[in-house]
Amino acid sequence: MNQAVIPDFFRQILDQPVNNLVDQAQEQGKKAIAYTCSYVPQPLLSLDGVFPIRVRAPGVVGTPMADTYLSSVICSYTRSVLELALEWAFDSLDGWVFAASCDHLRRLYDNLDYLNKPAFNHMIDMPHRGGAAAEKWLTEEYKSLGAALAESFGVDASPQALSRSIKEHNAYLSVMREISKMRKQDNPPVTGAMFQTLLAASTSAPKDMVMDELKALLARLRESNEGKPYRARVLLAGSHCDDPGYIDVIEKTGGLVVAERTCTGSIPALAPIPENDAPYETLAGQALANISCPRMMESFQARVDEILEAVEEYRADGVVLQTMKFCDTWGVESGPMVQELRKAGVPILKLEREYTMSSEGQLQTRIQAFLESMGK
Amino acid sequence: MAKYYGGCDLGSTTGKAVILKDGEIVATACIRSKIDPVETGREVLNLAIQQIDDLEKVEDLEKLVGTGYGRNEVPFADENVSEITCHAVGAHFCDNNIRTIVDVGGQDIKAIALSDTGSVLEFAMNDKCAAGTGRFYEAVVRTFDLSLDEFSALSLKAKKIVPVTSQCTVFAESELVSLLYKRNSPADIAAGVQLSVAKRVFTLARRVGVKPGVTVTGGCSKNIGLVKALEKTLRTPISLLSTDPQLTGALGAAVLASRNGSG
Repeated sequence: MNQAVIPDFFRQILDQPVNNLVDQAQEQGKKAIAYTCSYVPQPLLSLDGVFPIRVRAPGVVGTPMADTYLSSVICSYTRSVLELALEWAFDSLDGWVFAASCDHLRRLYDNLDYLNKPAFNHMIDMPHRGGAAAEKWLTEEYKSLGAALAESFGVDASPQALSRSIKEHNAYLSVMREISKMRKQDNPPVTGAMFQTLLAASTSAPKDMVMDELKALLARLRESNEGKPYRARVLLAGSHCDDPGYIDVIEKTGGLVVAERTCTGSIPALAPIPENDAPYETLAGQALANISCPRMMESFQARVDEILEAVEEYRADGVVLQTMKFCDTWGVESGPMVQELRKAGVPILKLEREYTMSSEGQLQTRIQAFLESMGK
Repeated sequence: MAKYYGGCDLGSTTGKAVILKDGEIVATACIRSKIDPVETGREVLNLAIQQIDDLEKVEDLEKLVGTGYGRNEVPFADENVSEITCHAVGAHFCDNNIRTIVDVGGQDIKAIALSDTGSVLEFAMNDKCAAGTGRFYEAVVRTFDLSLDEFSALSLKAKKIVPVTSQCTVFAESELVSLLYKRNSPADIAAGVQLSVAKRVFTLARRVGVKPGVTVTGGCSKNIGLVKALEKTLRTPISLLSTDPQLTGALGAAVLASRNGSG
């Protein structure tokens, strides 16, 4: 028997909105930049002197303060982050970078700017369509961010520096991809909850401080020959889901989450970034072509196909499509998405959720009934 | 010795047990849930077992399947199955023409679409809120100072409907007090309560599709006023099951025990 477990090192990173590794890196003179959306490119926030922190809201209990500032139809993630911001949980961070990817996160930017006035608060304008003009636009937006980082933090934002950063980021992606690939096995040594712990932890801390632990874990996973028993393989799709606890409930009920088609999951976040002399252009092209958020118009079928391909690649028995409450992009997308997947013969369960875990019993009942309806 | 198969449904409000022998129901029991679900399970099963001379204890059952919210807390069960599957199997066992189930239980409302073989095609559940469930009715009848049967009968005497707008159990209770103080007819207010619950069920049922062959299960199925209101809102006759519909989940669990156990 040789079953791998996730070291406490990674779990502890997720316990706090801002963890000790961030503090340590700041003590060494690096600046921590918060971001909330995959359209903010991690390599750009990983230039020498700064590092990116994908903001989570662990431990948030209710959102009474945020509710007074936000409209009642703002998504639960936005609300939870603002609540913690109003509890001064993120005050030690050095700056924020937003992408105007949805109105909800734009409101987070507005409120943060009005209420907390971060010293650095930058917004990237995002096109809603792909194509050459959009790539050009986004390239300029990313260059503006680079210039702002250079001005505020004195970092080198030259194409050469960004190319080096992309190379380092690719090294991280390569380790994560190796771990992700193992999930295709019949008896994967890594569960969905374990994988989400790694992914959330490594985007919540300076990457150079987690790489050794990640590599060591990869070696141990290669040696492990026993996975957790399961009844059905599940692909998790839908909106933002950075909580391993949510996936754990699915897995306690007998599902094994083998891949996530979410902006905080394995697909497409682990796609390698081409290394070349035009890194700003490359990041823009990659963001517009690969992130596959339903905010992008004219690419619905591509997103359906991506899920179908992942179902086949990871041999998933069914799809759990979870949408964050009041996330309008996924709210609109999920209806036709369910129809299309059903048409393709893929069993699908649609769930709406709050950012914080609640009603675990009801979630378990839904998952168990879904597995049973697949004959599992 | 004959083989007996058991199903135990530990709900939020009641614990139910059904025992089958040769595909026939030979014992049933239903008790109010206790604080300890294990104790509820043990007591309700013992009550059912006592009705059969051949059986002395739970272990004498060939197989036992647990379901309901306490399904993980039935340590003596051989297997646990979700209440959604169990209600489908139980309803199909009673009447194989059933295609849509509305389960109104102690803290949940579920709508389940069935195939012609009784398997679950689609389901929808309420979220956290217990509006329109057994817990809601408990608060309502307390306000009226009636039993649930009396409240149900009262609602059928309504000449018109006084709308009840609050979905939240707590707010609904105070709204009802206000309506009674304004000298509205209690029967008309009661009908308003039934309609408000029926509307809530309607939205869930529409999500799974309402196909003819509709039945209501769970404790609230005994509320005839609600059943009549559901017939109006869903615009379809509701078939009442021959077996006590509150036992449908436990019955389905027993049927699954007999299927797997005899296989």
